[in-house]
Amino acid sequence: MAESGKAETGNHRFEEGLKELEDIVQRLEKGELALEDSLAAFERGIGLVRQLSQRLADVEQRVDVLLKSEAGKLVLRPMREEEQ
Amino acid sequence: MLRAGAAPRILTVTQVAALVQGALEGGVGTVWVAGEISNLRPQPTGHCWFTLKDKQSQLAAVMFRSVAQVLPFRPADGMEVVVQARVGIYSARGNLQLYIDAMEPRGLGALQLAFEQLKQRLQTEGLFEEARKRPLPRWPRRIGVVTAEKGAAIHDIRTTLRRRWPAASLVLRPVRVQGTGAAREIAAGIEDLNRLGGIDVVIVGRGGGSLEDLWAFNEEVVARAIVASGVPVVSAVGHEVDFTIADFVADARAATPTAAAALVVPDRTEVARAVAKAEAALAAGLVRRVRGARERISALQRALGDPQRRVTELTIRVDELGARARHALVRRVAWDRRELGALAGRLGRTGPAAQVRRAAERMAAARERLGFALGVRVRHDRAALEQAAAKLDALSPLACLARGYSLVRRGDATGPVVSDAATLAPGDPVALVFARGRARARVEDTEEG
Repeated sequence: MAESGKAETGNHRFEEGLKELEDIVQRLEKGELALEDSLAAFERGIGLVRQLSQRLADVEQRVDVLLKSEAGKLVLRPMREEEQ
Repeated sequence: MLRAGAAPRILTVTQVAALVQGALEGGVGTVWVAGEISNLRPQPTGHCWFTLKDKQSQLAAVMFRSVAQVLPFRPADGMEVVVQARVGIYSARGNLQLYIDAMEPRGLGALQLAFEQLKQRLQTEGLFEEARKRPLPRWPRRIGVVTAEKGAAIHDIRTTLRRRWPAASLVLRPVRVQGTGAAREIAAGIEDLNRLGGIDVVIVGRGGGSLEDLWAFNEEVVARAIVASGVPVVSAVGHEVDFTIADFVADARAATPTAAAALVVPDRTEVARAVAKAEAALAAGLVRRVRGARERISALQRALGDPQRRVTELTIRVDELGARARHALVRRVAWDRRELGALAGRLGRTGPAAQVRRAAERMAAARERLGFALGVRVRHDRAALEQAAAKLDALSPLACLARGYSLVRRGDATGPVVSDAATLAPGDPVALVFARGRARARVEDTEEG
């Protein structure tokens, strides 16, 4: 769960990062930023590009199986290799 | 009339009913009957009473709960059906009755009819409305899948998700997707994933199969679970042509599990391309920004002009202003001075010094007037003198000579002036005196005047 939680945050950050990148590009294209700010925005954007590309390359798929225990509680267990 | 000897065997009503029942079972038994349902009376107990009729006849019929509840479709008045029934007696009423063991609609198959009926019902409830359907999340983090653990569906979904968006994690809720109870398991699976929480979207489906294989996805319990789900549900029943009920109520429908997986996640390649495009746009945007700034600077520079010239212009202007200021100051001082002079003058015209001066002036004026009067007198005397001289002059013979007259004297120039011709005789010497010089002449003749 902890691991999948981290993956979730990562994915969430991906979404936010992409949104921020899109915003930066848009603002830069509109030319509404001060020169100093556009330089800062550019640097931030390049940083995001690097992060996002890295994340796109890195991620491993994770699969869990949801089962019901005898007590009727929901239990997650990772899918075993032979099942994949 | 009763006769004692051959006493007839007296039966109870129940015995008769049992006899008839037995005769019917032996003689008629189980039959297949075609007819039209009328006067249908579903009971709260789940049993179902109705009349089966054709043009000429009608028979009472009962379908007990055990039969009715496994019927995929719902019987209705006017429906043409074929039933498998035992013919018997309902002894409480003494009615002939059909006990239904199975029922099939005529024309359509039972499943088909059931499908049409459920579809109609759910549609009437508004469960197929587009407005009810939720949008799929653009970036799902966790995807729930309700399908068979070993089926092709989960394999296809995993493969597609790994290729397109491995960042999304998967939670599989394994269920049987066909056979008795499959629909109930599928519905429970959807509910379980909702209860687990943290799921962004659910895929419900299976690989392809016959209509019977896919039947679970046409059952109401599955449709209800999909509608009740808190997260969007994508149906993925492997069939290209027909829709299942699950397809109609799901928030999105995919023709196959692979298509469903592709539908719920973005494509990594496309996203990477978008990121690369953003990167290029960043660079281009910055370059454009810098170029724009540079252009503005040069434009401003042009607008400002040559700074050196500007300085010169300013210097000139400053000088000019300085000169004007000085000039104004000088004028002002001059004016002040004049004003001061005037004031001093006015001051000077009063006071003792002025009086002395005025006295002196008056004296001078008097003196002047005296001199003037004297002058006038002298001039007057001189004029009188000149007049007298002129008169004297006019009287002088010399003045006549000046006008061309000549003076004739006897003898020479010292002789007496001749004023009468008679005094002269021819041959007498005379002297002619002119204004300037003289001449000697002789008289030739005389005449008396």
